[in-house]
Amino acid sequence: MNDTTIKEGRYLYCAVSIPDQKPDFSVTGVDDEPTTLIPIDDVGVVVHECNNLYDTDEVDLLRKWLLQHQQVVDAVGERFGTPLPFRFDTIIQGNDDRVREWAYEEADALSRYLDTLSGLWEYHIDVMIEDNELEAGLEERDERLQELTTRINDSGSGDGTNFLLEKQYNQRLATLKRRRRDERARTLRNRLSDITYEIHDRDTGERSINLTDSKGDESDRMTSQLTRLTLLAHENREKEIGDILDDVAAEPGVTVRFTGPWPPYTFTPAIGDELESEHATD
Amino acid sequence: MTRIDVDGENARDGLMTLVVTLVELLVDAMEREALRRMESGMLTDEEVERLGTQLASLEAEIDRLKTDEGIDRSVDDLRGELNGLVDDLVHRVDDSHQSHPGYSLFKDE
Repeated sequence: MNDTTIKEGRYLYCAVSIPDQKPDFSVTGVDDEPTTLIPIDDVGVVVHECNNLYDTDEVDLLRKWLLQHQQVVDAVGERFGTPLPFRFDTIIQGNDDRVREWAYEEADALSRYLDTLSGLWEYHIDVMIEDNELEAGLEERDERLQELTTRINDSGSGDGTNFLLEKQYNQRLATLKRRRRDERARTLRNRLSDITYEIHDRDTGERSINLTDSKGDESDRMTSQLTRLTLLAHENREKEIGDILDDVAAEPGVTVRFTGPWPPYTFTPAIGDELESEHATD
Repeated sequence: MTRIDVDGENARDGLMTLVVTLVELLVDAMEREALRRMESGMLTDEEVERLGTQLASLEAEIDRLKTDEGIDRSVDDLRGELNGLVDDLVHRVDDSHQSHPGYSLFKDE
């Protein structure tokens, strides 16, 4: 592991608009450090004092730190409105004055981003569907599946031929299910597009660390994912989004998971990246 | 994320998982090719039967091996990871034609 100590630094969580306020704000941050809010004109930057980087090979510890980082940004959002979140382990070397100096240098960008994101939040939607629901009625409507079933049931075919026919059947069934899934996902997306700023497909690779530490459910094997979306929407559209998802959840075999409002992590420009390079080169 | 341990106490399981997963992918490819030839009418009924029998035996043997070695789940996981990688690549290609998150707000970023 690299040397992770620094002389004096401030761990940055987020920036937020605090017009006409000089608020006291402190919650427990990463590694149980108390946070402070540094006011710079109409912008507050939430930090904690640190003298080391947060670099570890221990996944559980990293998960805890990430969760603590997220909790601070959430708390800021609840108190002041949409925050501009920084990436985990963004550290500025120096004291509060150095943070102020940096914030003045970035004042135009910070104000513009905060103004633009005001009232906007990120929402996550996962829609799952039971496989039998996705398959329902497919064979009745598809001549190819019917033909393959007839051939498989034909007593004249040997085991080897039947093996390949069943593969053909499963392949065709998978194609039809995929089409049906895509169609339903497209319909949902179209309905949501009228009331959101942006919709993006969420990565299905799930490489990120699972903060909730859930172990998964065996019954998941009987369901498949219809779609996973990340939305950027104004908070006053939240109910409409919920109503659309209620409609979807009322469909047979469908489960919807709707979470948010989250700070707009996905939609925030990469501000503060230069700070990481600052400490990385020292 | 699935980690294949090929250098510790579980080295044998890790290697078996890797090898069996690769063999499964190979058999999948062979099955797809067999179906293609079958559908194109290139094979006689006898050839289809023989090919199907061989592939069925191969699949049954791999299933038995996975059960004996207790690696069903780890092979599934690794295949899931590989599928995820392919999906990511496909998305990345798609994304090159689409807009990045935040495009509607920060057009000049």
